[in-house]
Amino acid sequence: MIELNELTDAAQKAFPADSLSPGRDESWRLVAEMGWLMVRLPEEDGGLGLDREASAAIHFEMGRVLATTPLIPAQLGLQAVLASTIPARSDWLERLAGGEYAPLHMLPASVLNGTKGTLSGTVGGVFDADMAVAVVAKLPDGYALIPTDAPGVSVVERPIWDTSRRLFDLVLDGYTPDPDLMLTDEAGAQALHDALAPEAHLAIAADCLGAANAALDMTVEYMKVRRQFDRPIAMFQALKHRAADMKIRIAAAEALLWNRVRDPEATLTQCGAAKTLAAEVFAYVTEEAIQLHGGIGLTDEHPIHRFMKRAMLNLQLCGSSDLWNERTGREALEVS
Amino acid sequence: MTDKPDLEALRSEVRAFLAAEAPTGWRDASRTQDDFVRTQRDWFGRLVKAGYAIPHWPASFPGGGRSLAEQKVIYEELAKADCPRLLLSFVSTYHAFATLHECASDEQRAQYLPRILEGETWCQGFSEPGAGSDLAAIKTRAERKGDVYVVNGQKVWSTMAQFADKCLLLVRTASDGPKQAGITYLLMDMKTPGVSVRPIHQIQGDEEFAEIFLDNVEIPVSERVGEEGKGWAVAQATLASERGLTLMELSYRMRGALSRVAALIREHGHEEDRGILRDFGELVTQVDAVCAIADQFLDNRIRGIERIGDASIVKNSYSRALRAYAKLGLRLGGIAEQYIAPITFGDLNTGNWMADFMNSYAWTIAGGSEEVQRNIIAERMLDMPREPRAWVA
Ligand SMILES: Cc1cc2nc3c(=O)[nH]c(=O)nc-3n(C[C@H](O)[C@H](O)[C@H](O)COP(=O)(O)OP(=O)(O)OC[C@H]3O[C@@H](n4cnc5c(N)ncnc54)[C@H](O)[C@@H]3O)c2cc1C
Repeated sequence: MIELNELTDAAQKAFPADSLSPGRDESWRLVAEMGWLMVRLPEEDGGLGLDREASAAIHFEMGRVLATTPLIPAQLGLQAVLASTIPARSDWLERLAGGEYAPLHMLPASVLNGTKGTLSGTVGGVFDADMAVAVVAKLPDGYALIPTDAPGVSVVERPIWDTSRRLFDLVLDGYTPDPDLMLTDEAGAQALHDALAPEAHLAIAADCLGAANAALDMTVEYMKVRRQFDRPIAMFQALKHRAADMKIRIAAAEALLWNRVRDPEATLTQCGAAKTLAAEVFAYVTEEAIQLHGGIGLTDEHPIHRFMKRAMLNLQLCGSSDLWNERTGREALEVS
Repeated sequence: MTDKPDLEALRSEVRAFLAAEAPTGWRDASRTQDDFVRTQRDWFGRLVKAGYAIPHWPASFPGGGRSLAEQKVIYEELAKADCPRLLLSFVSTYHAFATLHECASDEQRAQYLPRILEGETWCQGFSEPGAGSDLAAIKTRAERKGDVYVVNGQKVWSTMAQFADKCLLLVRTASDGPKQAGITYLLMDMKTPGVSVRPIHQIQGDEEFAEIFLDNVEIPVSERVGEEGKGWAVAQATLASERGLTLMELSYRMRGALSRVAALIREHGHEEDRGILRDFGELVTQVDAVCAIADQFLDNRIRGIERIGDASIVKNSYSRALRAYAKLGLRLGGIAEQYIAPITFGDLNTGNWMADFMNSYAWTIAGGSEEVQRNIIAERMLDMPREPRAWVA
């Protein structure tokens, strides 16, 4: 627990709440310096060996400031390498823990087999591929590390509405996978996916709820100073109740998140459900937040729109709400 | 999720007990008031004996001193086995317990707590016709005459008062100064001369709550909890129980009762209807979140952390989920649920979804309405300004 408070304090010092979306490159250096890339790496592999709770606490703080640094895909990429037995495994781990970037892609890939063992197609949802040395991607033959400078590999930015992050496609055109960089075979791909997906869900959920809290704080502060009809608008009960509802829904989603973070046996579906609730709550909070800001909420200068844009993107990562609600319903039906 | 070995053992123990002793046919057997009282008393007595009635009480009582994790196991299993909720002893084992445990004298505790386990039931006499959300506006008067208070006035919406032996009573002993300051907390015997009770019909046909009329009722001064005029603070203990403490049992019972929705999905052949599976899944996650926040609340409370507003958040999360639960059941049940059927007293368990739906309002209104909780959260937790009260005379 002490570790956790220390981590949270350090994160809040390094990323103060009053500066949203600090510069990416500088943030990334800071993240590497503080050892956050090593949080989930076991001590025997040179990491800090911390648990999911520590990792979620950091993602929560990164959400709060709408961090631009792609820590979630970086940690997932690193864990994929960790789970592999490639020849240069320890070398890669050292490089990645030290600040080189090899993200896991966060959207499906549509990669077609080409002729003579070559691949062509698109790997979607790669955050900040411009600074990546390699991308961890799910190919038809299993998960692979794909160096971004290999022949037949290019990255194409797909500009997104979310101003706090950058998204790329990894485009393969006659790329020949390096057998030494295959992290799994075809059979092992599902197992790796199932091991990493809960981590991804919990990380995104934490990001959502950190950000939702910040959006609520910002909104309540604004309501206390904005005056109409000779009083702060925070005095109007119709608006106060909406603020209270945001607080209630955030608190419940947060309780569920920490519950699943601390439960090593939480299933993939249970983690997907926690992410779904968190992302839905985040989206709802940001919609309310813009409305309660009035006209200024629609301006580019005021930051509240940035929360909404991040929320809407988060909803799309790792499967939609429909998908996870359906799975949750199906599983609950089976057991009850 | 699998339990740790000690919980696993408790779970099997509770299951074995329930397999042998869970009441069956209690819905049919509790449709008249007398039958209801009989089945409730009987089941409460058996749970006390088995050690599962008061897991949240201290270890000095039989069956008390259970950890939170153990309590959850018990509540979940009771719900899964479709046992009746202990509606009749709810105020006794929660609100009366919390009030006596936290605020009463040693003599009062020693006198009343054991009697609850013997079956003595309590009701809560707080609300009045003119004092609902504005509870501090109560008018029921108590005048001290020697060793007794002489009480006159009227209470309303008092759940199960018609069956109660005792009453947690809020009265006014002074009317000058701030309205919270003149309130005194008394323990009243319902058989005292001058007490009369008139049950009130609820929208689903039950007579679950009642009016209490008080006509020169004499209550010994020794039955006062806390000092004269300091009853508001004592009432907070009762309300905190109502808004927080009870909710773990209720949440886990709702978790267990999701099996009733699942049964409907199967019964109507919706196993492959994606829309319905989604709605069900969303409800499951909502209920899981309520359980998680109730856990967190009690966990914090045990560690001495409780901020103003925490209980309100838990209560509103629960009451909303309960409405969503009942509404999905009602929707899936179709027209059958619209036919009036004989039902039992209860909340999410009456055997008719329309009745459960109507009952689900109980928690968005009782114990301080949803709107009042929102005010508490906004003003005391988010620190938003109060509305001007210029119109108050
Ligand atoms: C099933 C049930 C069981 C109950 N059991 C008991 C019991 O055992 N003992 C007991 O003492 N009482 C009991 N109550 C009473 C309960 O505590 C009150 O009904 C409740 O506090 C609301 O008061 P009211 O009914 O007078 O509604 P009112 O206070 O008149 O409220 C009417 C409406 O106005 C809203 N409202 C009022 N004031 C405000 C405000 N300041 N801001 C915003 N909205 C406001 C309310 O939210 C509500 O929607 C029970 C009630 C129910 C429904």
